[in-house]
Amino acid sequence: MNNKKSAKKHSLRNDIILITAVILAAVIGLIYLNFFRSPGDSVTVTVDGEVYGVYPLSRDICEDIYSGSNNENHNRFVIKDGKAFMETATCPDGICVGHKSIFRNGESIVCLPNRVVITVTLGEKTDSPDVII
Amino acid sequence: MLSLFFALRVMKKRIISITVILCVLLCSFSACTKNKEKFSTYTMDYFDTITTITGYEKTQKAFDAVAEGIISELGEYHRLYSIYHRFDGTENLCTINELVDGEHRTVTVDRRIIDMLLYAKEMYYKTDGIMNIAMGSVLSLWHDYRTIGKDSPSEASLPPMEKLQEASLHCDIEKMVIDEENNTVTLTDPAMTLDVGAIAKGYAVECIAKGLEEKGITGYVLNVGGNVRAIGTKGDGTPWTVGIENPDGGEYLSYLGLADQSLVTSGSYQRFYYVDGKPYHHIIHPDTLMPSEGFLSVSVVCKDSGLADALSTALFCLSLEEGMELIKEFSEAEAMWVSDDGTKTYTDGWKNFEN
Ligand SMILES: [Zn+2]
Repeated sequence: MNNKKSAKKHSLRNDIILITAVILAAVIGLIYLNFFRSPGDSVTVTVDGEVYGVYPLSRDICEDIYSGSNNENHNRFVIKDGKAFMETATCPDGICVGHKSIFRNGESIVCLPNRVVITVTLGEKTDSPDVII
Repeated sequence: MLSLFFALRVMKKRIISITVILCVLLCSFSACTKNKEKFSTYTMDYFDTITTITGYEKTQKAFDAVAEGIISELGEYHRLYSIYHRFDGTENLCTINELVDGEHRTVTVDRRIIDMLLYAKEMYYKTDGIMNIAMGSVLSLWHDYRTIGKDSPSEASLPPMEKLQEASLHCDIEKMVIDEENNTVTLTDPAMTLDVGAIAKGYAVECIAKGLEEKGITGYVLNVGGNVRAIGTKGDGTPWTVGIENPDGGEYLSYLGLADQSLVTSGSYQRFYYVDGKPYHHIIHPDTLMPSEGFLSVSVVCKDSGLADALSTALFCLSLEEGMELIKEFSEAEAMWVSDDGTKTYTDGWKNFEN
């Protein structure tokens, strides 16, 4: 009888250990999925809806983007000191070149005539608006 | 034997209870991941701007179906309201504006054109003539000079004032004759044209949003080149957050939470060209016939996207005092003015939307 009781106690402890382990594993998994799968701070360039390239915001670069059916359109974008901006462009309106440099999560520069969009994606979860106008 | 049976029973109980607990845990986690997710897409094909559609759905497929519907409707409105392009088989603003043998024809149009023009006329009266779609003759002069100035900056110049004044004699909205029964439009002054740039986009966005609401679709936000319209809230029931960018850099001019509301910003930085190093933007004052001065931007929040579009343009052309008076007429609308020196002025209710 005494033996049974202690076995019961023992099994209860095992249960608790098992359940705790399962819960811990699940919580760690969720945290990992939510926080550590992000690719890091980057700038994504899309041309006509297709991803043209992803560039880390941490490295200074100067990248030429060619677009149009015969690659006749050209945008040069620059990443410098963690900010991205359009340096030159062949578009007639020049709105993209006139746009301030971007570095906040979700900020973007659009070149409508050349159908180029560059967007900042910050890896760590920051409070970014759903829409920026 | 009895004790083994007892142990087995205990074991069975344990296995069942642990299985139950695991199932509950798994279900709740999978429910977590099966919750609606945020999806987003964009198109650059319509209204000479970029349109972003963001929404919460359970699957990419469900989102794509809604987004495709929105984009196809946007395309229809674009073709109907375009003043620059004709589309085969469609009577639109461009064909209303064109001259045949020196006169405008009486054009039978889609009901969506009639309704938009009637709304624009209503806004003309409500804004004391500041928001006037019959100013096409003046605005097309600016458009032509701006296009030349953009293409070859060395030849950039302002439209001559005599030309502007001559054009301004042909901006009488009463000469836009609408027959509601037969869905026809006639411009009775051959020298007049319509420019619906200050209202058509917002009106179209509102029509599309209402269509979604009628279908029971919610949890979306549309951004058609700065015309923002929220349909419902985000997936978790909180308002959509919207940042109004400061064109000079720095913090957001305002950070808002919108649920079932529209936001439109009219800004001098949105479209402009340089003449002798000075920027000239696209919002032309109906009296001076020159770009309106004083504000960097004016933003309006209200339910109706068409109203927000028209009001933001009108407020941009009025002084702060006049604008404050005008917006009192629209109890549901709130505004933020940002003057050239960065000073911000708000209507009382604006802060209710700020996050
Ligand atoms: Zn550009």
